[in-house]
Amino acid sequence: MANDKSSLQLVTRGILSENPIFKLALSMCPAVGISTTVMNGLLLGIAVLFVQVFSSVTISIFKNLIHPRIRIPTYTLTIATWVTVIDLVLAAYMPEAYAKMGIFVKLIVAFAIITMRLEMFACKEPVKDSFWDGVGMGLGFMVGMMVIGFVRELLGSGAVFGYDILGFKPLLFFILPSAGFFVVGLMMAFFNWIEIFYKRKKGLQ
Amino acid sequence: MKDIITIVVRLTVSCLLAAVVMGVCFIFTSNAKKHNEHVKEQQVMYELLGYKGDAKVPESVAMHEIYRYVITTVESQSIGYLVAVHGEEFLLVEIDLDGKFLKNIPLTMSEADALEGDLRDKKVQEIVGPSATVKFADQTVVVTDDGKRIAYLISGKFQGFKTFVSVMLAVDPSFTLLGLEILEHEEDPGLGAEIEKDYFKNQFKGKPFAVLKNIDVVKAPIPADYLKALNGKVDEQEILKIRDMYKDKDIYALTGATISSRAVSNGVKGIVKKFAYRVTVLDKVLAEQRLTVPF
Repeated sequence: MANDKSSLQLVTRGILSENPIFKLALSMCPAVGISTTVMNGLLLGIAVLFVQVFSSVTISIFKNLIHPRIRIPTYTLTIATWVTVIDLVLAAYMPEAYAKMGIFVKLIVAFAIITMRLEMFACKEPVKDSFWDGVGMGLGFMVGMMVIGFVRELLGSGAVFGYDILGFKPLLFFILPSAGFFVVGLMMAFFNWIEIFYKRKKGLQ
Repeated sequence: MKDIITIVVRLTVSCLLAAVVMGVCFIFTSNAKKHNEHVKEQQVMYELLGYKGDAKVPESVAMHEIYRYVITTVESQSIGYLVAVHGEEFLLVEIDLDGKFLKNIPLTMSEADALEGDLRDKKVQEIVGPSATVKFADQTVVVTDDGKRIAYLISGKFQGFKTFVSVMLAVDPSFTLLGLEILEHEEDPGLGAEIEKDYFKNQFKGKPFAVLKNIDVVKAPIPADYLKALNGKVDEQEILKIRDMYKDKDIYALTGATISSRAVSNGVKGIVKKFAYRVTVLDKVLAEQRLTVPF
């Protein structure tokens, strides 16, 4: 199956029209659980970006050697390998960040978005496209996490990136996990609204 | 059948490849990780001694490591304490289980080697000879200020609710607890993991040895004024006053984590009790044998 999209389109698709959190609704667990601050979102986003790109490229390179019956174990193995690598590197060179989110890095193995991209895209497409798809999806996840983190941190603790901006805490509720669902829901509605708006405008023109 | 064979072969090969990738990564990062751990340990040590943040450690303060080894031969067991005498000269003082002095063996190695666990173990095994097996037990740091002992830093490990909890304690020469730091644990977040919070840890601060020996936990909410003091919300003077008021009391258990709380208080109790006994024995032997050590 040939892919008719350019590299740039693949990247923007991951961020906008097929955003993993807001459009595909995958990996909701970390999106709700970890995105209490912008920094957390950014760090986990970077980790996911690396794992996604490396796994996509690996699977894409070896796609002809993977037996179709055991493709899921192979994906899991690949993801687990790269997660371990990221885990070791973070523990060695960024101990402070690791102390805060080490437990979540290990959870990346079970992130639906990565397995899903391998199954839907990387196992059929050439290496170059898989790379850009991985970058797009990773960035999409990162942006999503940061947006949710921004809203929750601003409303929950009145700060952004740990710097106090508002000087007071508007709604403590937003720090709690359940508020994550509200933010994700509102963001989804917002993304859908933009899409509809955009399509209508195009239809009219 | 053919399918199964290809599947097995391919899965094996991919597992091996994955192992190679992870192995290479581990080799490249393990040194940096060890270094981090060492730095963190040093930082924890200084914090326990009260040198927080940028506070400068005075020149007169020195740290001396004591490594404890269990030496087992076919018929008997004894304890070996490896102490630095001065510079690169070390001494392995062998004491039997009743606290009687057996012998001491001099040993030379660089200080960098002494910090490296495996190397140190090998050296100790060499001087003890092949007839006995040597096992590293734990290490203690004696902190001196101008040659006078001001504190001991003890690291230890005990069973928590789920897995091991590893801690570092600071006690003064009369074994009053100066501070407690949880280095590693895997207790449940929100419940047992609260053991690393100030309001739990600081309860141990300032408990005298006599109280520590029989310490237990009580299932009761922490009184409001005590809680404030534990969290450091009041000034220094007030904290000391309140700490003094509560110093004979048991530890207030964490809500929903009595087992973890009890594990920590029992663990701390055990570590301090054993340490107090050991250090008394060691001191007696050192005095009897007229061995000069820098602490």
